[in-house]
Amino acid sequence: MGADQAWILVALPAAAFVVLALCGRWLPRQGDVLAVLAIGASLVLYFFVLHDFLHQRDGLVNSHEYWSIAMHHTWSNVGNFNLNFGTYVDPLSAVMVGVVTIAGTLITIFSIGYMKGEVRYWWFFAVLMGFIAAKLMLVLSDNLLLLYFAWEGVGVCSFLLIGFYWEKRSAAEAAKKAFITTRIGDVGLLIGIILLWKATGTFNIQDILTAATTGQIGHVYLFVSLMFIFLGAMGKSALFPFHVWLPDAMEGPTPVSALIHAATMVVAGVYLIARLLPAFEVVPASLLVVTIVGLVTAILTGFMALATTDIKKVLAYSTIGQLGFMYIALGCSHPDAAIMHLMTHAFFKSLLFLAAGSVIIGTHHNQDMKQLGGLWRKMPITAVTFLIGSLALAAVPPFSGFWSKDEIFHGTTAWNGGWVTFLLGFAAVLTALYTTRLFVRTFLGKPQDQAVYDNAHETGPVMVLPLIILALITCVAGFTVFNGVGRAMGFPGGFTEFVFLHEPERFVMNWSWAAASAVIAFGGVFLAGWIYWGNRITISTRLADWQPGVYNMLVNKFYFDDLYQAGIDRGLLGFSYVVSWFDRYVVNDTGVDGVADTTRYSGSILKYVQTGKVPAYALGIALGAVGLAIAGLVVRG
Amino acid sequence: MRDYTIFIPEFIAAGSALGIIAVDLIWPRVRKDLLAYLCAVAAIAWAVASVFYIGKTPNSFQGLIQVDDFTTYFRLMAAGIVFCIALISPNYIRGRIDAAAEYYALLLLGCCGLVFMAAARELITAYISFELISFSLYILVGFLRRDIRSNEASLKFILLGAFASAIFLYGISFIYGATGSTYYDSISKAIDANGSNTAIVVGLMLILVGIGFKLAVVPFQMWAPDAYEGAPLPITAFIATASEVAGFGLFLRLFSSAFHTGAHEWAWAVAILSAITMTLGNLVAIQQTNIKRLVAYSSIGQVGYMLVVIAAIGYGDAHAGAGASAGLLIHITGYIISTLLLFAALIAYYNRTGHDTIRGMRGMAETQPFLALIITVALFSYAGLPFFAGFTTKLLMFQSATSNGLLWLIALGVVNSAISIYYYMMIVREMYLFDPDENVKRFSINPLLAGLAGVLLLAVLFIGIYPGPVLHGASKASTPLFQAGADATSNVTAQMLPK
Repeated sequence: MGADQAWILVALPAAAFVVLALCGRWLPRQGDVLAVLAIGASLVLYFFVLHDFLHQRDGLVNSHEYWSIAMHHTWSNVGNFNLNFGTYVDPLSAVMVGVVTIAGTLITIFSIGYMKGEVRYWWFFAVLMGFIAAKLMLVLSDNLLLLYFAWEGVGVCSFLLIGFYWEKRSAAEAAKKAFITTRIGDVGLLIGIILLWKATGTFNIQDILTAATTGQIGHVYLFVSLMFIFLGAMGKSALFPFHVWLPDAMEGPTPVSALIHAATMVVAGVYLIARLLPAFEVVPASLLVVTIVGLVTAILTGFMALATTDIKKVLAYSTIGQLGFMYIALGCSHPDAAIMHLMTHAFFKSLLFLAAGSVIIGTHHNQDMKQLGGLWRKMPITAVTFLIGSLALAAVPPFSGFWSKDEIFHGTTAWNGGWVTFLLGFAAVLTALYTTRLFVRTFLGKPQDQAVYDNAHETGPVMVLPLIILALITCVAGFTVFNGVGRAMGFPGGFTEFVFLHEPERFVMNWSWAAASAVIAFGGVFLAGWIYWGNRITISTRLADWQPGVYNMLVNKFYFDDLYQAGIDRGLLGFSYVVSWFDRYVVNDTGVDGVADTTRYSGSILKYVQTGKVPAYALGIALGAVGLAIAGLVVRG
Repeated sequence: MRDYTIFIPEFIAAGSALGIIAVDLIWPRVRKDLLAYLCAVAAIAWAVASVFYIGKTPNSFQGLIQVDDFTTYFRLMAAGIVFCIALISPNYIRGRIDAAAEYYALLLLGCCGLVFMAAARELITAYISFELISFSLYILVGFLRRDIRSNEASLKFILLGAFASAIFLYGISFIYGATGSTYYDSISKAIDANGSNTAIVVGLMLILVGIGFKLAVVPFQMWAPDAYEGAPLPITAFIATASEVAGFGLFLRLFSSAFHTGAHEWAWAVAILSAITMTLGNLVAIQQTNIKRLVAYSSIGQVGYMLVVIAAIGYGDAHAGAGASAGLLIHITGYIISTLLLFAALIAYYNRTGHDTIRGMRGMAETQPFLALIITVALFSYAGLPFFAGFTTKLLMFQSATSNGLLWLIALGVVNSAISIYYYMMIVREMYLFDPDENVKRFSINPLLAGLAGVLLLAVLFIGIYPGPVLHGASKASTPLFQAGADATSNVTAQMLPK
């Protein structure tokens, strides 16, 4: 199977979605095996695609050339409006597909254990497959329209999965919040796509990029349309100020959280911006916006994570923070660093979420740090894998997060003044701080709630196995940055020599940078360890007592939710009241009802034409015939 | 040379019709369902036999009947209609109709008439084919012998049909008198050479009346609501599909060849008829309480939209005409699939509940959610909502028919589409927003009907989302329309050969 048949990767989970959605409940084991088989087959076939892709690339004389394999079909031609759909395989999408299929397979296997005995078991796997299929279509699509369809598909599936326990009011609310918040961004994305289509006459991404880089689109116009597209990415990636939906989205089953955070949902925005980065580079102002939004997000969510005690919500904030890091890298024109961090993050974050899921199952649905603690002895495997994930998240060498974050640090140095690097370093310290706090308060120290501790137990093999695999990947994934490792795996070189924007860049160890970022990571870890493990937790409570305003601000997530609610209550509802008054009295009573009454009245008159008498009918025909003939003669003159 | 091989598909169809009657005569106690399946198999054989003619050089029987891609397209549609009607009938017929063999035979024979209407290149042949399908329909409409409404509908239909076909024949005689021929090619040449005159104009208008009657164009539509209501339900579906396909087959063939040179004489008349038809059909549909009558008026409205294409043929040249015809063909295809889908569900519902009023469909989403879904999809497709066949095909049709002279008509069509959503939604509202009456339980439906409906549902979605293949077929089918007849073509070829 070659890279031009990459659509099969999408088709398999999509077919599984259809089969499971229609008849999943009657299948043996409610079809979970089918789901694993479908995504597993996609994973296996992915390696064939990758092999073929690398093989064809090796054939190039100049291996520095950017290489891609495109395939497309005509969808419909209506007049001069041509629609094609197809797949586009290049290093960027190859890495993304790899991340999605690997993480997707492991998460699907894990779900068999996690979802055991839940209601609508089959429906969960059906939507899971739909989710993965939509994401694969998103990264493989060669045009913006298909990408938009997939984008919305991802949105719908996330809505269904976050609200999976729809009997629970909080879950239904969270699903609604996630959907509406991302929808706002999606509208922006659609506007952006239409603007670009209007300027270039095509939806094909490569054609649009060519048009943008050769200056066929005016800079202001391009800036505006790119900002609209970035709005879509911000909504999907839960960047500031759209970050409010992601922590609430924790209401979904934990494997769903893992999938949303690691592979399918939030990183879609990163992919989209990375894909369109050549166009962003044409207007440097747009890159600045991306960087600033990324920085604000990374720092704000770092603070929020410090004040949260729900382990899944801490992870949620950490995801937003890491996404901020990726956007900073994108803003510095380093998609290689961003995508590498995306990859390592996908693995260690799904590891962390699955481990958190394991904690939740092992402690019988307890996910508040205030009631956990000391689980190290009860759940050794979960604890060790969680520790590995945490170290990677805190960017402690030699775990994968260190290498990718180091790349981002390196990328930001291109900016003059170093303010980006400085703020990034601050955000990294925060990351290490809250990550360590999370681990210490969950697994170390004294049990906070003896009853929870006594009933805790290690989870079964179907859940532990994905944890171990992900932990192994997390340990080694960072080394792909080295030229030798990449070559040994058959890639043309290290990660940054495979995914790049202009020129492949060989990774060279810069010891001072590495030392600096290691110091940042260790500093954060030790600080948190000193506070939370050394039973100096009172320091933080004393801080809260000393400055209750600051603490409340953090606990209440900087009051963003309240701000939005007030905005909706006062602004939107007030405005809608005015509009509804206008609609009721002006549009409806006079406009619509008037027209409708007229229509209905004319209908009621006309129906009497139908008398049911044959002579009347025949008369109608005869009059029609005579009338036509006379009219014909009159027209002839 | 008399080439009988071009009739093989119709030999199969007509032979099967006789075979079905013979089976019933020889084994009077045969299960009537078997006859339906026989009829369906015959339809498949008919379609398979037709497929072999795709892409062949147009071949004509003495210049009377021409087999080309256009004819093949209609053969496939006819076979498809017969197939679906045969499969939705047996449940309904059981206990209502005892002469089942004749019922199925007439379906096949009527559709042979349909095919020849589309294939004819000579007026008398067209007229005979016209009568073949008409007579089949007269009998089929009155098949519920003990039902007074069915009898009344059939009688009205016969009387008015006879009247209309007399007018049609009168029009033919005018044309023959003025041009000296009944062959389409010769008529076209005669009009080209001598120009039109009063007799031709009168003849044209009378022929318009004849075809307009078949298509239920206002003001010749009055038979339609009564016939739709009185006929057995599957036959209502048959009229709504076969009668329209036949009418437009004749319309396209005749007005693209014989009368295309004199288009300025009739194009305006078709445009006006189209405007009146779509407006009246949609306005009166709002007032209906019976679902069959509602479908009757809605199909009158649909015919109005389709007439836009005929008007566009009149206003445009051959190239624009071929594009517009392709748009019409794909719209008809989508329309008959949606209609058959709707009736499969209506019949399944009627068989269990006996309701054929809109009020009777109250709460169907509770009692039979699958049927409610099917009906909703069919109505959405009628209304032209996106992702369903009706949207894409109507878009393609209006787009291909758009020309400066007809913008007002297209605009009227769009307004009418908006009005139509109102009464389609009334049904959807009745099904989904109200609770079913007391004591009504959830019931299951015949698996055959459910399966057929499922397949048609997929077809509606397929055409709605990916119209490419069907559009390709429709364009191929409409290519031969604006070329001279097969004999003429071969003459041209002969002249081009080196001597």
